[in-house]
Formats: sequence, C-alpha cells, structure tokens
Amino acid sequence: MKTKLILTALAMFFSVSLFPQTAQEIIQKSTDLIDISSMEMVSTLKIMDAKGNVRERQITTAAKKFGDANKMLIKFIAPADVKGTTLLVYDYDIKSDNMWIYMPALRKVRRIVSSEKGKSFMGSEFTNADMSKPNVTDFSYSILGKENFQGKTCWKIQQTCRTETIQDENGYRKKISLIDNSSYLCYKVEFYDFSGKLLRVQLLDKYKKQTNGKSFAYFMQMENVQTGRKSIMTVDKFQAGSQLPESAFSPSALEK
Amino acid sequence: MFIIRYRWWIIIATVLSVLVCIIPLTQIRINPDLETYMPDSMPSKQNNKIISDVFGKEEPVLILLESEDVLNAGTLKRIENISQEFSRMSEFSRVFSLFQTKNIRSEEGNMLVDPVIKSIPVTTADREKLRSAIKANDLAYKLVVSDDFHYALIMLSSNKSKNDVTMMQDIHQTLKKFSVLEKVYMTGQPYLRDEANKKISRDLMLLLPLGLCFMFIFLWVSFRELSAVLLPFSVVVFSIIFCMALIPIFGWELSLIGILIPIMMIAIANNYGVYFIAKYQDLNATEPHLSMIKIVEKSIQYLFTPIMLCGLTTIVGTLGLVAHLLLPASQMGVVSAIGIAFALLVSLMFVPAVLSLLKKGKPHKDLVEEKHGFFGKLLFKTGKLVTKHPRRVVVFFAAFFVLSTLGLIFFKVAPDSNSVMPKNHMFNQAIDIANHHFGGNKVITVMFEGDIKDPHLLMKLDKYEKELKKLPNVGSVTSLATLIRKMSTALNDSTDPGFNRIPESREAVAQYLELYSMNGDPKDFEQFVNFDYTKTLMTIQYQADNMSEINMILNKLDKLTRGDSIKHIVGGYSLVDKEISESVVSGQNYSLLFAFIAIILLLGFIFKSFTAGWLGGLPLLFAVFCTFGLMGWLGIELNLVTALLSSISIGLGVDFTIHIFWRMKWELARGKNYSSSVMGTLKSIGRGISINAFSVMLGFSVLFLSAFPIIQSFAFLIIISLFLCLVCALVLIPALCLILKPKFLTDTKIKGQKSLSTNTPIN
Repeated sequence: MKTKLILTALAMFFSVSLFPQTAQEIIQKSTDLIDISSMEMVSTLKIMDAKGNVRERQITTAAKKFGDANKMLIKFIAPADVKGTTLLVYDYDIKSDNMWIYMPALRKVRRIVSSEKGKSFMGSEFTNADMSKPNVTDFSYSILGKENFQGKTCWKIQQTCRTETIQDENGYRKKISLIDNSSYLCYKVEFYDFSGKLLRVQLLDKYKKQTNGKSFAYFMQMENVQTGRKSIMTVDKFQAGSQLPESAFSPSALEK
Repeated sequence: MFIIRYRWWIIIATVLSVLVCIIPLTQIRINPDLETYMPDSMPSKQNNKIISDVFGKEEPVLILLESEDVLNAGTLKRIENISQEFSRMSEFSRVFSLFQTKNIRSEEGNMLVDPVIKSIPVTTADREKLRSAIKANDLAYKLVVSDDFHYALIMLSSNKSKNDVTMMQDIHQTLKKFSVLEKVYMTGQPYLRDEANKKISRDLMLLLPLGLCFMFIFLWVSFRELSAVLLPFSVVVFSIIFCMALIPIFGWELSLIGILIPIMMIAIANNYGVYFIAKYQDLNATEPHLSMIKIVEKSIQYLFTPIMLCGLTTIVGTLGLVAHLLLPASQMGVVSAIGIAFALLVSLMFVPAVLSLLKKGKPHKDLVEEKHGFFGKLLFKTGKLVTKHPRRVVVFFAAFFVLSTLGLIFFKVAPDSNSVMPKNHMFNQAIDIANHHFGGNKVITVMFEGDIKDPHLLMKLDKYEKELKKLPNVGSVTSLATLIRKMSTALNDSTDPGFNRIPESREAVAQYLELYSMNGDPKDFEQFVNFDYTKTLMTIQYQADNMSEINMILNKLDKLTRGDSIKHIVGGYSLVDKEISESVVSGQNYSLLFAFIAIILLLGFIFKSFTAGWLGGLPLLFAVFCTFGLMGWLGIELNLVTALLSSISIGLGVDFTIHIFWRMKWELARGKNYSSSVMGTLKSIGRGISINAFSVMLGFSVLFLSAFPIIQSFAFLIIISLFLCLVCALVLIPALCLILKPKFLTDTKIKGQKSLSTNTPIN
C-alpha cells in the first residue's frame, strides 16, 4: 500500500515534470475560463482618437445559445441620438451570420445581409474577432518565457496565425499574451501587424469570478500604437447566464 | 601690380577655397517635391494643411491596369492578389480597388452589403452579370473601373511612413511578384517625385560633363593653345564647385530648377576668362616684344573695368530671380549671382596670376595676318547695311517686333506641373486615362464645419454635389451626403419616402452613422467625417486643361456657398499646382521688372546717361517680348522653368550692348564719324561678341538632352533670346545710334575713363 502511494506520488510528480504544459494548452485553459456564450451586461464603451476626443456609448448586451446559434442582442442606451438602436445577431459556427438592426428614427427593423464580417467592433479599436472566442487551431503557439506584469508572474506566449487568410481575417500576423501562471487569466496582449511591427496593445483587468465558475474582465483597453487611438470597455453590470426567452432574441421583438 | 606681386597667394587662396567647397558639396540633397517649391504661407498650402490636420496627410498613388476586358478571370485574380499584398504593407493606410469596393443596396426588404466581386467569374454569363452589377454601382463604376472596362484602378493611400524611393520599389516589386501581364500605368505625387529625383540625378551626371566637354572643344577651336583652354576651363569648374557648394551651405536642396545652375556657370563663367585669353593672344601677336608679365599687366589694365561692368550687369540680371515667388528660383538667383561673382573674381585675379607664371605661346596666326573669316565677312556686310539704311533697319525690327508679339494672344500658362514629365511618360499617360475614362485626374477637397449630424447641413452638401456634377469637366463629387443617401437606398424600399434621400431628423442621421461605423472600417469612414462629427470633407474629381476650367469649378463652388452660414475651406493638390502656375506668372513679371529696371539704372550709371539706360535696355526688351511672342506662336507654355527666361537672358544679353557702346565711344573719341565708328565697332568687338554669344548658346544647348521637356523648352527659348539680343546689339543698336546720335557716346566722362584715355579698345 505504502509502495503504491509512493509510486502514485512519484508518477504524478514526474508527469508534471516530464510533461509540462504546452503553449496551446495554456491558451486553451485561459480561453475556457472566459465564457460569454450566455450573459447579460451593461457596459460603457469609450472610443478615443489620437487627439483625446472621446465618443462614449452605453450599451446593454444579452447573449444566449439556442440550438446551433449563438444569439446576441446589443442595445444602445446612450447617447440620446442613438438610444434605442438595437442590433440582433445570430452567430452560426458553419453558416454565415444573420443580423438585424432596429433604428428608432426609422421605426423599422431591417435585416442586414452582409457576406463580410465587419472588422471593427462598434467603430472601436476592438475587432469583432477580439470580442468572440478564437478558434485555437488557427494559430501556432510557443512559450517565449516568463514575465512579471503588475506583480503577477505570467507566461509569455506567442500565437502566430497559421495562414495568410487567417492573418487577414484577424487583422494581425501574431500576438503575444501574458497569462498569469496561477490563475490562467490573460492580462495583456500585444498584436503585431503583417510586417511584424507592434500594432495594438490590449490590457485586461478587474476580473470577477461568476456564479458559473468562469471569469470575466470588467475592464478592457485596446490601444492602436500606430495611430494613437484607444478604446476602453468597462462593464457596469454583469450577470452570467441570461434569463431572456428565445422570443426576446427575435426580429419581431426589436420593434417593441 | 597687386595681382603680380601676390600671384602665388592668389593661386593658393583660389585652389584652397575650391577644395574646401568640395566638403559641403558631398552633402547636397535633391528635392524633387514641387509642392515644397512654394512658401508655406501660400494660401492653398495653408488650406491643405488645415484639411490634412483633420483628415490625414495621405497621398494617393494610382495604379492603372490596361486589359482588353478587366473582368477576365486572370486580370481580376491579379488585381485581387496585388490589392491584398498592398493592403498588408505598412506604408499604405488604405487600398482601394474593385476588391475593396462594396455593393450596398436594398433587396426584398433587406439591406444587402456585399463586396462588388464575391467570386471571380469564370463563364461569360457570370462575367456579363458582374459587368451589369458594376455599371449599376456608383461606388465602383468609373471610380475603380473605367467606363469601357479596359482599365482597372488601384488606389494606394500612402501614409508617408516610408520615403518615395523605398515605397516605389515596394510597388514595383509587388507588380513583378504577381507577373502582371497587363500594361501598367502609374500616377500620383510620390511617383512623380521618385521619377523626378532619378531624372535630376541623371541630368546632372550627363549634362554637366557633356557641357564641359563642349566648352573644352569650343575653347580649343577658338584658341588652339592648351594654357589658353585650361585657364577659362578651370574658372568654370571652380565656379561650378563653388556655387553648387553654396546650396548645402545655405541649408537648401537641389531642385529641378537647380539643374540649370551648373549649365549657367558653363555658359557664363568662361566669358571673362575668355576675354583675358583673347587679349593675351592679341598682345602676343601684335606686340611680340612684351614679356608675359607685361602682357598680363596690360591686359588687366585694359579689361578690368569693362569685364567688371559686364559681370556686374549679369549679376544684377540674375538677381532678378530673387523676386520670384518660387523658392528654388530665388535660391537659384542668389547662388548663381554669387557664383558669377566668384567667376569674375577668379577670372580677374587667378587667370592673370597663373598666366604670369607661364611661358608665352606661339602667336596665333589668325591674329598676325589680317584674315577675313566667316564672322569678319558677315559683320562687314552687316555694317554696310546698317550704315546705308539705318531707318529701314529700325522699321524692320519694329515690324518683326509687332509680328512676334502678336503671338502673345496665344500665350498660355501651364495649369499644372504635369508637363514636368514628357507627354509619353507613364505618369502623363495615366493622367490621360484618368481624364478620359474615369472622373478626371485632379481633385479639389472642401472641408465643411458644423454639426454634421444636422440634416439641413447634409441637404446643403447634397445640393452642392448635384450642382457641381452638372459642370462638364467634373467627373464625380463625393461627400458624407453621398454615403447617407446610399445607405438610405439600402435601408428603405424604393417606395418609402426616405429612399435615396437625406433623413429629416438628426437622430436618423446619427443612427445611419452608427450603423456605418459598426459595419465598415473606421479608416474608410474617416475620409468623409472627423471623429467628433464637426467637420466633413467633400471630394470633387475633375479634369482641366487650363486655368479657366479650374476657375469655373471654384467660381461655381463660391456661388453655391455664398450666403450660407456653413464655414468651409477649399483645398486639394490641384489648387497648389494652380497657385504654383499663377505664381510663375507673377514671379516672372516681378523678376523681369526688377532685372529690367536694375539694368537700365546700371547702364545709366555706367554711362552717366539716362539715354544709355533706355537705349541699352531696348535690345533686352525686344528679345524678351519677341521670345514670349514666339512661345505663343509655338504653343510653348509658361511654366516654372521657362519663367526664369527673362531674368537670365537680360543678365546675359546686356553684356553685348555694353561692349558695343564702349567700343563706339572709343571709335568716336578717335575722331571717326558715326558710320566709320559703326564699321569699326562691328569689325573689332563684333567678332568677340559673336564668339561670346555662340559659346553661351552652345553651353545652353546641352540642355536639349535633359530628361525634362520643360528644360528642353528652356534651352530652345534661351538660345532664341540670346540670338535676338546678339542681333539687336550688332544691328539695331548701331542703327539707332546712327539715327539718334546720343550725347553719351561722345561724352568722354564715364566710369573707367582710364581705359578710353589710353586709346586702347577692349578686344
């Protein structure tokens, strides 16, 4: 018995030492910690240009998965001239997305059929790719080392887009992430453009653990170091899981 | 004598100063950017700066691909590959081609946003379907593809993160990488600058040695004595090194106009040394008993004053360029004037100093025996004509003047800088294509300020657009209003009241803009409106072959916006180009007036007579206006190089007049009558002036080999102008003197009276 215990302990010790985590595994773990498939939140998005001018939007977001579709409802609550404008998105894994927009000034819902995924999220420095869960197999991974960031010891992991097509879809050639080696939360990401120059820097902070065990960053900042533009998203309220029924995520509900 | 006593010091000082000048010469930089040739205070430049501070400083490079049908699969694939490659390059903030253009429309109650080309058509049916779709899409048709589908456009917005040379290399490498089979044309300021840069270097490396070679041959043919050739040749080389070194010393750059500086030095700097050598050979032949030192002393004594006066007048004429608004032209005036002063000093000090150390050569046999060469016979006949029929000569010149200056009716000013490159250069071919098959190659941008979300403002922009599009040379007008109306066609059905209209509420405009920013690239959006929605840009694409066509658009815009409370600023590179052209005219007038007045005053001062001033100015006036008239007859436009003509030709041509007056005074002082004085003047100094004039013309003729057509035109015109100055000096001036018998010719009191009292002529 004693021998068995010793052997098991030794096996566990050696398995950790002989089989350290790969970069991809670290990234996978980090990605799995964040779950935005079902949630409701109120957030403020500040978009700043290089001169310091600010455009501020306050939006409510609700997301839930129904069958094979991730359905998302984004509604503007401020400023006054766009208040009530609502975007409904059905995000499919295989087929192209469906999108509807309700514009209060027109008092009508219009379906938008776009074969191109708009790159910028709400006109900010965040891209739509940044706001959605990445496809882990699109990248090759390597650990560059460790780095201390804001008092945390972090893995420095490089992710390189495997093909030019993936580069074009994402808008960058590679990114380097700093992931806390104890919590697996990502605190900083550096994005590099097609020629290898630093393009954008993302900072994530104020992670809060949710009831479902997942975490969510209440503060996200994206700075384009080449243009000087910056966008900050702060979460004012967050609730894991959405109580909204499927009917709330339908085009007919937008006009109500 | 000072020069003989200190000849070694003079030689050492001259050589040392030239050697020192070689160091800054290695720092010389070329500036081919025509926009920087104008001062920053220029209104169009200031407006452009205000607009670019808001909307960015990108410069477009246009690439045109020519094909039987640009919609064929191979061509489309290449366009796609090239555009994608360019969009990955850091130096381009935006790439716009068929593959970046969207098709936004309404269909079955949905807003459809598709790329113009979803997939490359393979069958003929698919291709024709695409053609029809493009024709119906005003965001693509005649913007990224020509009306006849023979040309496709790729527009690159350069953010100037790389210099022109590197960027153009990247573009050429990309085209090579994708084995572009189609004929490629390129245009845009970065391309023009790169090409101009290469051609400026090429011109200097070709024209300068060639000019020096011509000059060497000419001097050898004239003097047939090595020291006689090398001395004036060295004056020229020293002067070129000295004045070109001044450019980096003053913190300036070598411009396109700067190519003229060394050529001017070749043409002018040898003159003074040539007179010295001619005098040395003359004394060597006629007074063989004199030692070299005595020859040098006598030459200095005879030539110092008249050469000083000739040099001074040339400097004054050249300084007329300082009044030019074009910075390189005024810089050229300063540098050339100092260079000529240096050449003068070196000719009067270095040449005699070196000559005094040399052994006398064999006397020139042409000067020992009286020979009647070609010039001699011609000048004799000319003298006979002038003395027999002076009034007929004056009438002939007056008639020629009237006939030539009638050409001024057809006189044109270049409306832009496109003529910098030859007509068949890719740059101009691309402009032709843009003019005939797209909306035009020129752009005017108008920045409006106000609450951009205010529908009333947008409706005004819409109205301006519609009115401006009615003008025949306007190809397209785009603004935020265009975009909003386009979106309204996609968000509304054709039967809805909001279809193809600016919405009536501010909230609706705000929501349209929000939708656009959600779906589009912020960079695309920000070419129309600034970040805080307080400024919007209207782009007018047009073509214009002359100033009046540009003014037509500006006048229309002014009429439309007059009385409106919307603040606006008008800019665009075509207006900078226009202002450069206008300043060419005013600069040319100022420099002409300056040079003319200065020369008249100087002549008046030298000969202590107002009559001498205006009489001496007559050949210059004649030459300059006849040349302008000829430009009108031949269709040669006034441009930034030909505008330098008048100052330079006045500075050069006045020398001939001074020599004629000087010699006539000497002849008259010896008791000859006017007719004999004219004959004597033409026989003696006439030959010298002719050789001088032809050597200058030969020097400038090298410019015919320039890569720039405007410099070739300049060569033609300066030669004509100098020829006219020569003919006036040899024919008109003596005729007028015979008729008017001005007092100053018989008055012995002038500057340099010493020369006359020794009863020795200049030559």
